[in-house]
This record gives sequence, structure tokens and C-alpha cells, in this order.
Amino acid sequence: MASWNPRIVTATSWLFPIVTAVLGVYAATRASTTAFALLVAAAGLAIASLIDVATSNSGNRFTTGLAVAAAIPFVFSGVDGVDTAGTLCAYGLGLSAVWVLRFSRGEEHDVLLPTLTRRFGGYVAYGLVYSAMRVGVFSDLSGGWEDLLPFAVALVAWLIVEVVLRALLILGPRELSRNYLARAILHDLNVFMGLVLTGALFGELFIEIGWWAAPIALLPYSFAHSAFKRFQETKVTYKQTIRALARIPEVSGLAIDGHADRTTSIAASIAKEMGLGPSQVEDVEYAGLMHDIGRVSLNEPNIIRMGYTDDDIARWSAEIIAESPYLERVADDVRHQYDPFRKPGEQDDPDISIISRIIKVAAAYDWKVHQESLSPLQALEALHAGAAYDYDPEVVASLRRLLEGRGVLMPVRA
Amino acid sequence: MTLNSDKPVRRRGRLHPSVQRKLRIAVPYYTLGLIALVSAFFIFDPPEWRLWIPFAVLYVILEVFSVEVNDRLFQSSSIMVIMTAGVVAAVEQGSDATFAMALIAAAGSAVIADFKERRWFQPMANFGQLVLSATVAGVLLDLNLGQVSSLQTRDLIRVAVASSLAALAYVTINSILVRKAVKTVYGNENLQPWSQMNVLFSGQVLMGLIGGLLGAAYVITDRPAVLVLIVGVYGIGHMSLYAFSQLRESHLSAIRGFVKTLEAKDMYTRGHTERVAYFAQMIGEELGFTGTQQETVKWAALIHDLGKLAVPTELIRKKGRLDDNEYAEMKAHAHLVEEILAEVDFLQPMVDIASGHHSHYDGNGYGGRGHTEGQTPSLEACIVAVADAFDAMTSARSYRMALSQQYALGELRKHSGAQFHPDVVDAFEKALNKTGRRWGAPHVNDEEMARRLAEEPELTLRG
Repeated sequence: MASWNPRIVTATSWLFPIVTAVLGVYAATRASTTAFALLVAAAGLAIASLIDVATSNSGNRFTTGLAVAAAIPFVFSGVDGVDTAGTLCAYGLGLSAVWVLRFSRGEEHDVLLPTLTRRFGGYVAYGLVYSAMRVGVFSDLSGGWEDLLPFAVALVAWLIVEVVLRALLILGPRELSRNYLARAILHDLNVFMGLVLTGALFGELFIEIGWWAAPIALLPYSFAHSAFKRFQETKVTYKQTIRALARIPEVSGLAIDGHADRTTSIAASIAKEMGLGPSQVEDVEYAGLMHDIGRVSLNEPNIIRMGYTDDDIARWSAEIIAESPYLERVADDVRHQYDPFRKPGEQDDPDISIISRIIKVAAAYDWKVHQESLSPLQALEALHAGAAYDYDPEVVASLRRLLEGRGVLMPVRA
Repeated sequence: MTLNSDKPVRRRGRLHPSVQRKLRIAVPYYTLGLIALVSAFFIFDPPEWRLWIPFAVLYVILEVFSVEVNDRLFQSSSIMVIMTAGVVAAVEQGSDATFAMALIAAAGSAVIADFKERRWFQPMANFGQLVLSATVAGVLLDLNLGQVSSLQTRDLIRVAVASSLAALAYVTINSILVRKAVKTVYGNENLQPWSQMNVLFSGQVLMGLIGGLLGAAYVITDRPAVLVLIVGVYGIGHMSLYAFSQLRESHLSAIRGFVKTLEAKDMYTRGHTERVAYFAQMIGEELGFTGTQQETVKWAALIHDLGKLAVPTELIRKKGRLDDNEYAEMKAHAHLVEEILAEVDFLQPMVDIASGHHSHYDGNGYGGRGHTEGQTPSLEACIVAVADAFDAMTSARSYRMALSQQYALGELRKHSGAQFHPDVVDAFEKALNKTGRRWGAPHVNDEEMARRLAEEPELTLRG
């Protein structure tokens, strides 16, 4: 949202709870469900939306609210169809309350507006499609397999709306391309499905056995919840461990301080800007952290005597990485990090992956800025000079866009 | 949980001891399982096909995707499936949970077996232990739920109690039998087989309870749609186990990889860290350490020399004595481990231990956070210190040959109460005697001889 005028963002953001609340109240007047039940559903959605389950790499927050939202149309449906107005009322009032609660916790407008708008869009699409299908073909709930068809179709509608709205709304950090976002959604599908399935289970059971459904659905839900929490922790602590280990050459004075960390953050930004998927961005991060780990070998007496080249360091780094089960997949990328993008008179070398090319540019940039004390603009010019031979021109162009977006470079004037 | 073993070693003539050990487990397990299955067939009513075949298929699928949650221990969420089937069978008219569950377990263990690799031990033992566990759980379900004619929502509490009991029985029998098998077949080599047993145990019981309740929910609502969603829940159970194994695996593999790097620099310390971790766990077991304590000691041992990665290799490999400057640089590795791992929150307790492993019992020595001048370091640090010293003595160094175990133990005892913690030394000695394995070169009984042997390779030993 950063590219939008902050005043417009703030104003629109303030409108969000008002619009959703008005919509909710209007829907309530036309709902067949009792006002009390509507309030309970809206409050449940609001409270559940404050329980964080997981935050994906791309910054997508998953909360218990997804499970509650998935259950609401089931709960508001009788034998003769769904209370569409009631469903929309619960979504509107619920998200209006979520806005108020999250705003009072001090969240910024440029985060609140896109995330909640996107959620609201997804919920409404889900509720409408589910109701429409129940009104039409699947009007009587026999309890058979076909009962799940409206749910499945509604779920697809939900996902599509979410993807589209995310791509439209989060233009903010320029590095996040739309391609990356679309892949990120698929990447997080297991979290999404885990939450939504337990919600639907609750709904299906609620139709028949009422509130007894709560304890039955809550148990598997708690399992899903703890599993995702654990995935999250794993990722965080694993990255911590790798970052710590990456500092070994720096701690022992064999590499310049902070080089691995800075290279990694530049490389990851370039990767996102170029539209690589989340798992490839992760690989870029690991490759960046580990790209100079081979420098630990510079302690060896015969290496000190004989001398070494950059290529030796790449080789040693790759050898070390190949020993670690989870990092081995980036060993080849690290092995080729110093190889020129294209040798004179030859085609592109297919051995040199996009990850190696990104690392090469990011490491060179950081080296020029922090070791050779060039200004960002001078460093970029040096990279431009080597583009198409040493460096992949596309990666260099991406770095330029990135630096321009961050305002580090003075834009070149004609 | 199921066993996953290596291929048996075959030799002509007499059976290899490892095969004999496997037979001692496989034959009685298999026989008992068979007896349970056959008696279930005669005593209980056979279940309808729809009450067990679909569940057996799901059971097999989940077993195929079982994840390694601890060394050689595979778990899956299949207990959910078998409990759902059990509860459904128990409350349906004209069928019993016992036979249905025994059938599912039998079918499951038969299909998962990897016959292509000619493994015989694993499928036989798993068949026995799974069928036995399933039968007992089924009997419990039948006893508690068999009389319920038509299930109502108010019976849900009864179902919850019954499935908890049945799941508890299933998991208990299952883990006792698997533990017994592992102890017999792998012997003492596999110390403290499963440190996280308690967490995994309660997780499995909870999964069983969920499975049972879902079965009841299906019967009450009588909606096939619910059944589809239940299959989704099985997937969630699988994901939670997978997350558990990832958590454990990822850190271990990262640390282990780096330890290998450290050791690759110096052929004399190759395998040192793994051995120190092994000794430290042996001592921990002798001192009655439990799951997490053991895990902490193991990790501390694995990282205890990480700081050495940053110490010039010359020093590590240097023959002869180090001068004061070099010694100071060498000492720094105890601090460096703190600096390197400063940002890894979950490793901090282990870092404290690791940085104290050169601290002495009487308060001398050196070290980082884990060392305070004049104070006895933590028991864990003392354990790592003893394990480290023992392995340093019983393995070859650039300047001397490996010393004998006898000599090394003598040295530990000599400095016990000053450099080493006396209780730890005692515990280590006991533990070593239990394993019966000898470390170090058998006859090298003094330091001087070890040094001379390294300098003059043509010198040979007789004795």
C-alpha cells in the first residue's frame, strides 16, 4: 500500500468498520436468524480472528477466524436453505469488530485495510456461493456426499477472491510481485485447509447435534493449531541456527562482519522482486547465508601458505553445505556463485542457476559498498559494467529497481 | 508406532547373533498376534465389509506416510482411523469392535511390510504387536459401548471415556512391545531409545480419543458428508506429527552438519563429538536423567567444541606443548561458542553447559558463562567434561597414540574430586562396565609410551 497516498489509505481504513457495520446491521434486518444468534456468531468471529495461528513467509496471517467463518453458513442453514442475510451480517459485524480490536492494539492502517478488505471479500464470496448453491440444486440437506459440493465450490470461490484481492491490494512493498503472491497462496494451502476443514466439520455436526459439535471439532482444531505453531517455530529457530552458524567465519575474523547477513537480505529482496516462489526465496536465503562459509578453511596452514581463489572458497562452501541434510539442495547454487554469467562467445551456462546469479550480484554489491567503500550508485555502475558477462543483466536490473524503490539511489537524470 | 529395522545379516551355518535376537522377538510376537486374531474370529461377530475395509485402506495409507519422530521410531496418525472404526463397529448392531480392529491392524501391518527388500523381522513383529494392541483396545470398546443400542448425543461423554481408555490401552501395549523389541534387538547401542516418549505417548492417546469421538459423531449424525471431513481430520493428525518430526530433525541436522565440518578439519578429532555425546548420554542414563535432561546433555555435547571452528587449525593440530599465547587462543573457544550461538534462543541452556566443559569440579579451569571461578559447574557441564576427557585420552592425537581405557579411567579417578565430579566419574565407570565395550588402544598404559609410539611408528607393542 506504500505506493498509495497515505491519507487516502487512512481515510479508507476508517471507512472500513463503518461500512461493514452498516452492511451488517442492514443484513440483520432481513435475516431469519435471531438477533442473539447473529451477535454470538459475530462476536465469535471477532474473538477468533485475534488468535494467530501462523504467519506465512509472504506475511499472510492465518487466524482461528478462518475456521469460524467457514462454519457460519453451515450453522445458519436449515433444511430449506441458508440464511444468506444472517451469514453476511455475521461477517460484516464480525470484521467491523476485528478492525476496532486490531486498531486498538496499535496496528497501522496500511496493514489493517488490505488484510481485512481481502478477508471480507473472501468471506462474502464463500458465504454467497455456498448460499446460492444451497438455494438452487442442493436445497435439501440429505446428509449425503453431495452435501459437500456447495462447500467445495464455495471454498474455491473464496480462494480466488483472496488471491485477486491480495494481488490488487498489496502493491506496497514493490519487491513483492503478483506472481510471488499467487504462489504464496498455494504454498500456504495446508494451513488454510486445516483451519477451514475443522470449521466445516463443526458446521456439519452442528446441523445435527447442536453445540455438542463444539467439543468434537475443538479437539482436532487444537491439533491443527499446535501443528502450525510448531511449523512456524521450526522455521524461525532453524533460520536462527543457520544464521548463527553463518557467522563462524566472521567471528573468527576470516570474513567481513555482517557480509553474510546483508548479502542474504539483498538477495532475498531481489528474488522476491523477480517473482520467484516462496520456496525458491527460502533457498536464496540459505544460499546467501552459507555462500562464504568455506572461509573457515582459511585457517588451514597449507592454505595460508599456498594461497586460494574465490573459486576455492565456493568449492569449500559447497562441500560443507553438502554435509547438512536440509541445506544440500543449495550446494550446487553455492558452488557456482562466482562463475561468470556467460563466458565470452558462449551461450548462457545452464549449470548456473538463477539462485547462483542472484547471490553473485548481491555479494558483489555488498562487497563493493562495504569493503571498497563505493556509494550505492557507484557500486551499481560497476555491476552494470559487468552485466551480460559477469552478472546476469536481469538480476542487475532488478537490483536497480529495488534500490530506486528504497530511495537509496539518486535517480539518473537526463 | 511401528518398527523399522535394517536388513538382517546372513551368514552360512549358524544364525548371526543379530538374527537370533530378532527371532526371539519376532516368533512370540507373531504367534501371540495370530492367536488373538483367530480367537477374535471365533468369539466375536464378523463386521460388515463397510465397517472395516475402507478404514483398513486409510490405515495403510497413513502408515505408509508415517514419519520418523525419534531415532528409528516411526509414528503415524493411524490410531485415529482404527479408533473411529472401533467405535463405529461397537455401536452398530450385530458387529463387534474387537474383530474389526484386529482385522484392520492385521491388514495394515501386512501391507506396509516391505517384502521386496526381504525384511522378515519388521512385518512379523509389527503384525504381532499391532494386532495385540488392537484386540485389547477392541475388547475395552466392546465392554464399554457394546450395550448401547442407539447412540444419542448424551452418550458422547461415555464414548469419550471409553475411547480414552481403549486408546490408552492400545498405545501402552504398543509402546511396551516396541520398546521391548528395540531393547532386545539393538541392545545397549541404542541408549534411552526415545527421549520424547511422554509427549508422543500423550499425543497418540489424544489422537485415539479424537478418532473415537469422530466415529461416534458419524454414527449419531449418520451423514456420509461428515465421514469425508473426518478423513480431512486424519490428514491434520498426520500434519501435526510431521511438524513434530521436522522440529526435531531440522536443528539436529544443521548442528550435526557443522560438527562434521569442524571435525573434517582434523582427522584426529573425527567422530569425537558424536562419541562425547554418546558417553555423556550413558552417564546421564546412569544418573537417572529423563527425557529432556538427556536431550539437553546430548545437544550440549554436540556443540561443546563448536568454538574450535574459529580457532586456527595449526593450534588444534600442533604437536607438542602450546605456548601461553597459543593456549589463551585455544581457551577462547569456550567463549566463541557463546558468541556464535548467541541468537539461537532454544540452544541457550545447552550453550551454558558447553561453555563450562573446561571448568573444574573444584572451581578451577576456564570457560565462558558456564564457568565461575571457585564454583562447581553444573552437573551437566561436569558430565560433558568427563566424557570429553575420556574420549580425548582414548583416541589418537597428532602427538600421541590412543591410550587404553584402563589408563583413562585411572586418570579420571585420580583427578576425581578436583578436576572431575566424583559422582559423574563413578557413574561413568559403572555405565562403561555395563556395556562391556572397550575403548582406546588395549595396551598403551602410560602417556610417555603413547607419545613415543606416535613419534617412532616402527616401535611395535608386544604383550
